[in-house]
Formats: sequence, structure tokens, C-alpha cells
Amino acid sequence: MLAAFAGKCLGGLLLLCLYLSLSGGSSADPAMTTQDASSQSQANSLTNMKNELSEPMATTQIVSWQTQGCPSDPVTLGHEVSVPGPNLATKESRQTSNQSITSVQYELLLPGASGTSVETTISLEKVVEVELTCILDKEYSYLKSFQVSWKRGNETISHTNKTDNSWSIKVSVSDSSKLGSYNCTLKGEKELSGIFHLQVPKIKGKEKPTISYLRDTAVMTCECPGYTAISWTWYMTNGSKQIVINESLLTDRYVISKKSASITQLKILKLTKEDGGEYWCEAAFELGKSEGRLELKVLSFMAPLKPFIAIVIEVVILVALIVCYEIYSTKVKRTEAEKEFDQIEHLKSEDGGLESSEARQRRI
Amino acid sequence: MPPPANTRRAPSPPDGGWGWAVVFGAFVSIGFAYAFPKGIAIFFKEIQGFFGTSYSEVAWVSSIMLATTYGAGPISSILVNRYGSRPVVMFGGLLCGIGMVSAAFCTSIMQLYICVGFITGLGLALNLQPSVIMIGKYFLKRRPIANGLAMAGSPVMLCTLAPLNQFLFDSFGWRGSFLILGAILLNCCVAGALFRPIGPGTTSVKTQVTVEGKGALKRDVTEDAVEMSSPTNLPMKNKTEEEGDRDCCEKINQYLDFSLFKHRGFLIYLIGNVLMFLGFFAPIIFLAPYAKHIGIDEYSAAFLLSILAIVDIVARPTTGIIANSKWVRPRIQYFFSFSIAFNGICHLLCPLASSYTGLVIYSVFFGLAFGMVCAMLFETLMDLVGAPRFTSAVGLVTIAECCTILLGPPIGGTLIDTFGDYKYMFIKCGVVMVLAGTFLFIMNYYNYRMLAKEEKERKAKEEDPKTVRTENEGRNNWIKETTQDGPELEPLREEQEEPKKEVNGIIEV
Repeated sequence: MLAAFAGKCLGGLLLLCLYLSLSGGSSADPAMTTQDASSQSQANSLTNMKNELSEPMATTQIVSWQTQGCPSDPVTLGHEVSVPGPNLATKESRQTSNQSITSVQYELLLPGASGTSVETTISLEKVVEVELTCILDKEYSYLKSFQVSWKRGNETISHTNKTDNSWSIKVSVSDSSKLGSYNCTLKGEKELSGIFHLQVPKIKGKEKPTISYLRDTAVMTCECPGYTAISWTWYMTNGSKQIVINESLLTDRYVISKKSASITQLKILKLTKEDGGEYWCEAAFELGKSEGRLELKVLSFMAPLKPFIAIVIEVVILVALIVCYEIYSTKVKRTEAEKEFDQIEHLKSEDGGLESSEARQRRI
Repeated sequence: MPPPANTRRAPSPPDGGWGWAVVFGAFVSIGFAYAFPKGIAIFFKEIQGFFGTSYSEVAWVSSIMLATTYGAGPISSILVNRYGSRPVVMFGGLLCGIGMVSAAFCTSIMQLYICVGFITGLGLALNLQPSVIMIGKYFLKRRPIANGLAMAGSPVMLCTLAPLNQFLFDSFGWRGSFLILGAILLNCCVAGALFRPIGPGTTSVKTQVTVEGKGALKRDVTEDAVEMSSPTNLPMKNKTEEEGDRDCCEKINQYLDFSLFKHRGFLIYLIGNVLMFLGFFAPIIFLAPYAKHIGIDEYSAAFLLSILAIVDIVARPTTGIIANSKWVRPRIQYFFSFSIAFNGICHLLCPLASSYTGLVIYSVFFGLAFGMVCAMLFETLMDLVGAPRFTSAVGLVTIAECCTILLGPPIGGTLIDTFGDYKYMFIKCGVVMVLAGTFLFIMNYYNYRMLAKEEKERKAKEEDPKTVRTENEGRNNWIKETTQDGPELEPLREEQEEPKKEVNGIIEV
């Protein structure tokens, strides 16, 4: 009963973390083409996870959850650069816990749509043990004799045959030296390869510059969606030097606030011309550091004032033109109407004269 | 001297000439009024980060602006009734400009609510109503075309404002953009300058010249009447007392015609439109999120809205031309109800579109239907209540519509959140609009029949007293020659007739 309750609780927590990583994943990845495929694969992995939880391993997992807590959960459903086409790279991540080091599995289905190679990028924020597997698609199982090799750069890594047509390696990513590109190559009648890029999470900065004005406030935000950074540091580039913005440097003008676990904000008050330039936000993870670039432009209020005055002058000129044209055309109409009125009056006075003469005649 | 055969009650609308300049001015005014609240949504993300508020708090700015633009309708109507369209539009443009310029210096979100929401919204309201009213004053035969052209301003302005706002934001940040947008809104003053007053008793040159002559005539007549026997004084005094009582009610009705609520056509229009607006705007707001929800990327989703806008631009003047044709003009209410129902059917069929091409087809038809409804929105009201009472009618209608316009999107949003599916929102909008369309169709059929009946009765009445009237016609004719008839001059003319008769009678005796 306890296991069932714990299973439900874990299921709920996993759903929450899945949602968090889903929402983070879709915005961070620039090359995401069809979201359908990725969400389906997430759903698949979720069902796989649920199946996992019914195993007796559940009890040991609970311990590890409690010690680590949910927001920093090790279930990182990595990010994939999904290749368009029928043979999409699928990924499953299953979690087993062994004391405090977690193990994550990533799989690549070969070949990719481009014909021979498929790549995927995996962002890791914590120390994990990673199992990378290359699976040969069933359609290509007719390829009999081939050589499988796993390499990182020039260094060959020994692999294990998981099944008849899948091969995997285990990498213990304990520090930044273990990050990089791992590729599996199948050499035979056809050469197929899959590449896993292991890296720290990328920081989302802003491509376009933030524009602010003298003596105003500038707010710059950096975020690593879906991940938690251990610490954030802000740098400012002055010429070629990078100056750390820390507590000792002009505390009243700089305000660094942590909006949430993955968002940091730098607020600069009372801007001056010198504050403009490049800014860097650096997030420190267990496995290394990652940087995001922001640009700040400080304008004087004269900059928008010039177009403003130009448009106001244009409006005034147009209104004056329209009013002048109207006065001119009414003057023309008035002179014409006056001429007509004079004519009518003239005719009336003639008639009036006739009538009064008639009346006089009648009286007489 | 032969009496003029046809003396007009009021100068008939020119249906052209300077009217087209007025249409251009209305195009600009209406365009800003409808497109501006949607256009400034580009700045919201930055403002949200700047002030540290949630997105919904910033989105309130747009809602307040829209609410004020519609809710300040009666104020606009009262001011137009009192001062005429031109000063109101120019003041509105000035107010918009001041609002946006002051928004550029805001330091809190509350100040933004006031500056952008209330002040600019009020300015836009003072722009929207008079523009529509002026079209009614300048056009009669070609009014649907003029309406269609003027209402086309909204999608055109939206298409220009969206990239312009993005460019301004990238170059100047949000503060500078608000400053420059304030200047751009001042162009509404230019549109207002084009609204040359027209109509009875205003700056028509002939009336100015002849009013002086008539005034002299009146003075002579009253002097003579006073010199006459005193019995004539009593009836005149009673008359002035009665006029005093009438003036009070008339004064209120002069500013805002509440007697419209007894007008059958107005009530039909009001109920039908209030119902329609419940499902009118929600689909546009949720089209892009729905597209993203079914898996379409952001740029293609935005392109759907562009398709909608482009079809809208074409649909509005085309609808105006169709509505002006001799087959449709007498039955324009049916055409309006049909376009509303067509809109509803589009929404009901939308959930069937599950691919990008399906959504593109939906956008095309939606743009068409949306343009058709918008082009005839004010034309049908003018058709029902007539040009003189339109000023008050439009004010009363917009404040009633204000509530449902604001309710529509949040209701749609709650439907989406509770069911997790967009199709219920589309079904709700479709059902509401089909209902509104059928209601308007049936009620207008009934209205047309009642109008035809009343017309017959009126014509029958007119036949009888015609023989009595011809004697007075002769006396009245020379007065008519020298004066322009207008509603406010009419009581004056009747006043003259009675003492005049006395004077003539005495002379002839």
C-alpha cells in the first residue's frame, strides 16, 4: 500500500517535472521542427517511466528523491535536435538510482532522414551517469556484417552489445572534461553514424539590444529554462576587459535579483552613457559554466524627440493647409452666393414694388 | 413669381465631392481607433519585464483602452450633438497624443493604465463616433460604399502599425516608441480638419446670408403684432410657456436621444449586436495560439493573421459596393444577418481543420466574413434610425456592446482552460453568432413588414388634408423663397405664419 501511494506520488511529481522540462525544452531549442514528434516521444518516455515505477526498484528511488528534492530532479529529458522525416530520433530516459548518482539513458535511431548520420544535443546540468545507445532501425536489419565503433574525437571507447542491433557505452560525466561529442559509427555495406553532443545547458539571452535612456532604469534578464543554475554572475565588457559586477561595485546602481530558479535579472538604475555595451550573464552548473550575451544601448532623449517634432510639424502644416483651403473655397462660394442673393433681392424689390402699388390702388 | 416646385426640408447629402475627403479622414480615424489597442501588444513583454508585473496585468492596458473606446460612446455622442464633429475629433486627436506622450514618462503600471488606457482610449472614442457620423451626413445614395471604404481603415492600419511598432521598438525602446506614437496619433487631428461641417443650420453660406434678412423680417412682424390688438398677445404668451416645458425634455433628448429606446429598429439592432459581439473577437485572439497548439510554428501562425487581415482589407470595400447595389440596398438588413450567420458557420467548421491548409482556408473565409460584418456594422444602424438620430444611436449602441466585447475573449479563455481544447471556444462563438444572425433575420423581416404597413398608413393620411393645405401654400411660398428650411427654423416659420395672417387680414380689410 505504501509502495502504491509512493508510486502515485512519484507519478505526480514526474508529471510535474515532465511539464517543466517540456515547457523549458520547446523554447530553448532553436532547431525544433515538429513539436508533435517530441511531445509524443515525451509521452512514450512517460509511459515507460510509469512501467519502471511498478518494479521493486521503486523503494530505493524514493530515498533518492527525498534527499534530492524535486526541483533539482535528475530526470532530465534531454533536448533533441529532431531530424525531420520518418526516422526520427527518439529518446527515452529511464532513471535508476544508485546512492546519489543518477543514470540517464539516451538512444538514437539510425539512420537519420539525411541518409547516413543523425545528431542530438543533450544538456546536462548535474553529474550523471549517461548511457548512450545507438539502435539500428528494423528496416535496415538486412545489413549483416558491419563494424561498430564508438569514438570521442580520436579516442575510441569500448562498447557493449545491448541487443542484436543496438550498441551502447556508459559515460560517467563527473566534470566538464567528459562533455563533448560522442559518436557511434556503423561501417558495413552502408556507413551510418550517430552523434551525441553532451553539453551544459545554453543560456537564453537576447539577440536584439535592450534600449534605454539616460537617467532611466534598464532591466536585463537571463534565463536557462528548465534547469537550475548553482549561481549566476554578471559581467560587463569595458573595452576589452571584463568587469565582474559584484557587491562591491556600485551597489546602489546595480541590483541583481533572482526571479526564480532559472531566471536572473540585472537592474541598472540612473543610467549613464558609459553603461552602454555588452553584458554577460554566466551560470555556473556542476559540470561547467555557460554564458549568455546581452547588449545595452543608452540613448539620450533627443533621439526619439527628433522624429516626434518632425511628425508634429507635419501635422500642423497639414491642418493649416486644409483650413486655408477651406477658407479659400468658402470665400469663393460666399462671393457667388452674395451675387445670387443680390439678384434675388433685386427681383423681389421689383415685385414688392408692384404689390405695394396694387395694395395702394386697392385702398384708394 | 412662380413658387419653387420642390422646397427641401434639409439639404440632401452631397454623395461625393468633399465627401471623399471625409471618407479618407474617417479611414484614418477609424483605423487608429480599432487597430491601436491591438498594435501596442508588441511592447507588452518588455514593459512586463521593466515593471516586474505579470503578463495579464500588462494586458489590462489593452483591455482598458478598448473598454474606454467603446464605453465613452455616449460622451462622444453628447459632444457631437452639442459642438459638431470637427472640434470633437480634433480634441480627440489631441487627447490621444497627450495620453501617449505622457505614457512615455510613466514610472508605474498604474500610470500606464491611466495614460494609455483611459486618456488615449477616450481620445480614440472621440475619434471613432464622429467619423462614422460624418459619413452619414455626407452620403446617402452611396453610403454603403463610403462605410465600407472607411471601415477598411482598421485592417490597413493594423497591417502598417504592426511592423512600424516593431521597428520603433527596436530603434527607440518602448519609451521612445510611445513618444513617437503620440505624434503619429496627432494625425487624427488632420483627419478631423477634413470633417467640414455640413447639414441644416450650420455653415451653409446661404443660410448665413438669409438669416439676417429673416431676423429683420421677424422683428417687423412681432412689432406689428404687438401694436395690434391685445387678444393676439395671450395666445402668444401661452405658446411661450408651453415651449418652456418642452425645452427641458427636448434639451436632454437634444444631447442624447433616449427616445431611441422606443424605436423598434434600434432595439432589434441593439439586441442582435450585443449578442453577436459575445463571439466576435474571441476567434481572432485565439487563432494563433490554436495554430501553435495543433503544432504549427510561430511564424506560420502569425502568417495566418496576416492572411486574415489582407482578405479583410479587400472584403470591406467590396461588401460596401455589393451593399450599395439596387438589389441589396433595400434589403441590407438581411445581408447583414446573413454575414453574421456566415461568420458563425465558419467558426463551427473550424475544429474540422486540423492541418495548416485547413487553417489557411478557415482564415480566408473568416477574413471575408469579418470584413463583411464590420463594413455593414454602422451602415445598418444608419439605415434603421436615419441620419439625424444616428449620433445618439451610435453612442448608446457602443456602450451596450462594450460589456459583451470585453466578456467575449475571457469566456473563450475559460472554456479553453476548463476543457483543454480550443474547439469548444469555436463552437461557442459559432453558435452565438448563428443565433444572432437568425434573430436579426427574423426580427428584421418583421420590422420591414411593420415599416411597410406604417408607410401605407402615412400615405393614406397625407391624401386627406391636401385640399385644405393648398390655400396656405400660396402664402407660405414667398417665405420659403427667402429662407432655407431646417428643423430648427421650422418652429420659427410657423410662429411667423400666424401673426402674418393677422397682418395680411387687416391690410386686406
